[in-house]
Amino acid sequence: MPAVMDLKIQNLTNKDSQQKVSGLQSIPVLEIKDLSISLRGANRQEDHTLVKKLNFTIRPGEMLGLAGESGSGKSLTASAILGLLPKSLHVSEGQIEFRGKNLTRLSEKEMRCIRGKEIAYLFQNYQGSFTPFIKIGKQLIESLRSHEKIRKADARKKVLFWLERVQVPAERIFSSYPHQLSGGQLQRVSLAAALMFNPSLIIADEPTTALDVLTSKKILDLLADLQKEVGCAILLISHDLKHLLKRANSMAVMYGGQIIEKGLTENIETNPLHPYTKLLLRARSVLTQTVPGKLAVIPGEPGLVAKQGCSFTLRCTKSSEKCSMVPEMQLAEDSHCTACHNLETEEGN
Amino acid sequence: MLGLVRKRLVQLVIVLFLLSIFTFSLMKLAPGDPVMAILNADEMMVTEADQVKLRSELGFNQPLYIQYGQWMLGLIKLDLGTSYMSGKPVWNEMMERLPITVQLTVGALLVMVSISVPLGILSARYPGKWPDQISRICALIGASVPSFWFGLMLIYFFAFKLQILPSTGMGTFSQTILPSFALGFSLAAVYARLLRAGLLGSFSEDYIQAARARGVKEWRILWFHAFRAALLPVITVFGLSMGSLLGGAVVIEILFSWPGLGSMAVDAIFSRDYPVIQGYVLLTGVFVVVMNLFVDLSYYLLDPRIKQGKEGTA
Repeated sequence: MPAVMDLKIQNLTNKDSQQKVSGLQSIPVLEIKDLSISLRGANRQEDHTLVKKLNFTIRPGEMLGLAGESGSGKSLTASAILGLLPKSLHVSEGQIEFRGKNLTRLSEKEMRCIRGKEIAYLFQNYQGSFTPFIKIGKQLIESLRSHEKIRKADARKKVLFWLERVQVPAERIFSSYPHQLSGGQLQRVSLAAALMFNPSLIIADEPTTALDVLTSKKILDLLADLQKEVGCAILLISHDLKHLLKRANSMAVMYGGQIIEKGLTENIETNPLHPYTKLLLRARSVLTQTVPGKLAVIPGEPGLVAKQGCSFTLRCTKSSEKCSMVPEMQLAEDSHCTACHNLETEEGN
Repeated sequence: MLGLVRKRLVQLVIVLFLLSIFTFSLMKLAPGDPVMAILNADEMMVTEADQVKLRSELGFNQPLYIQYGQWMLGLIKLDLGTSYMSGKPVWNEMMERLPITVQLTVGALLVMVSISVPLGILSARYPGKWPDQISRICALIGASVPSFWFGLMLIYFFAFKLQILPSTGMGTFSQTILPSFALGFSLAAVYARLLRAGLLGSFSEDYIQAARARGVKEWRILWFHAFRAALLPVITVFGLSMGSLLGGAVVIEILFSWPGLGSMAVDAIFSRDYPVIQGYVLLTGVFVVVMNLFVDLSYYLLDPRIKQGKEGTA
């Protein structure tokens, strides 16, 4: 009797979401403290650090946007949270606290129980989200049965229920192979797979980069709607400022493996502090009645990262001698902070 | 699916037709005279009249295309002619010996699978570690050591020195072990490497990472997600190496004195027993083509995208 079950699931999610939303200001779901990720060298001294001393927290019901250009370490951070870093990389420092547990200390078996169930992951490459030669339904049932003891028939009902929730033709998608679906459909199915377990955290790693503009908008709307319902936290990784500014409650901007600015989205949008954030925001194309002659550009190549000190200094227009030292995070206003030596001189501009 | 089977059956007919022409003309071109062999000219006096009589009995005095046509007509009725040596129909002779060769090949395949699958998986799980090194060495040995020498070594150690396994005779399980190993080992080592490469390839696919991110258990990922994709290249090579498997069976049958198809073919070659040689070559041809048909069909089962690509439905 699917109707009864639907009701049950709905009740469950409502109750849970209330709990989660009520805890919005209290305990963070995820707290990352001084996280560094390094390439394994021959010995410790040769370690090449890719992500340096990351700090951020996500609270239940919050959507944190992680912005930054390609190679800035966004996806690495996400992989580290899931414990799925490639073998050549490792967490060299810091902690990943997820609901009171330090994920860097957990065994592979304990991590597996968290992956998918408590932390769900949405991939950028939707074609790689599912194994190409196994039907969608079978894969979703497989992930359900990896985490809970559930009869096949019940698992099927639950999968169909969630497929309907993400607004795809459930029965047909259930018995399709991944290559028979469109990009938008696949990303919706991934969303269903993520939400099935009512996770505490969804990591969406550029979930719409490979989709067209309209489909992206629909997927992100759906994500936001379902988040409201379920009350989970979302880490939205993107290099597209437009999405982040529109959707995220708060934001962190990364450059060269460091967070250079973070805070509430509206603060960052109206009052960017770090030169990089300023340049990024200025480089957006804004729809006006006159066509702008030229868009602002950030000098230098993406991926040009200083080996020492502030990672942005090589491309920074305000670079000074002080920048060869690693800048400390400074609090500017209500939870808005940035790492830059030249803030005072910046104010004049 | 059915379209493919039909296409392959047509191909089979063409392949067999070409095979029959090749074997027929090769036999006619090859030095040596079957008439002299049948009359046992080395040991007995053979008169000119005897030769002429036998030649016309066997139809050798007729033009080649008529000889070929008669042979083909018989072939359609599964009549491959009679063996010059034993006087029995070739078809019956082959069917008598077929089970023996099948036993050997199946044994070799079992050895192959039971060595290559675990070794391939282990060396893909621990690349560069000791299982990988073992499989690398095995593959090197398997590829470079001829199977007759390997068979001889097996006989020397296990039958002669240790005396734990019989070296000749057939029928019992213990008698099947050594020949199966001798035939299957070299292939096993090669397939272990192929499987390793395939598995390493699929481990680096995004969908494996995605399955991990969904919390699927590692052994399930291995068997249901990675292994299946890794099988494709293995099966392709398997289909192609069916011929060498049968060729290897010839050597091994002689070595372990199994009266299978292979030893039949060798005897027939030495005594210029044309009908038997032609029958053997045709049977091998059918076998290889049919096995490759199965290989192609298995692609469809392993990867549904192939079906779509070929039939163009979407």
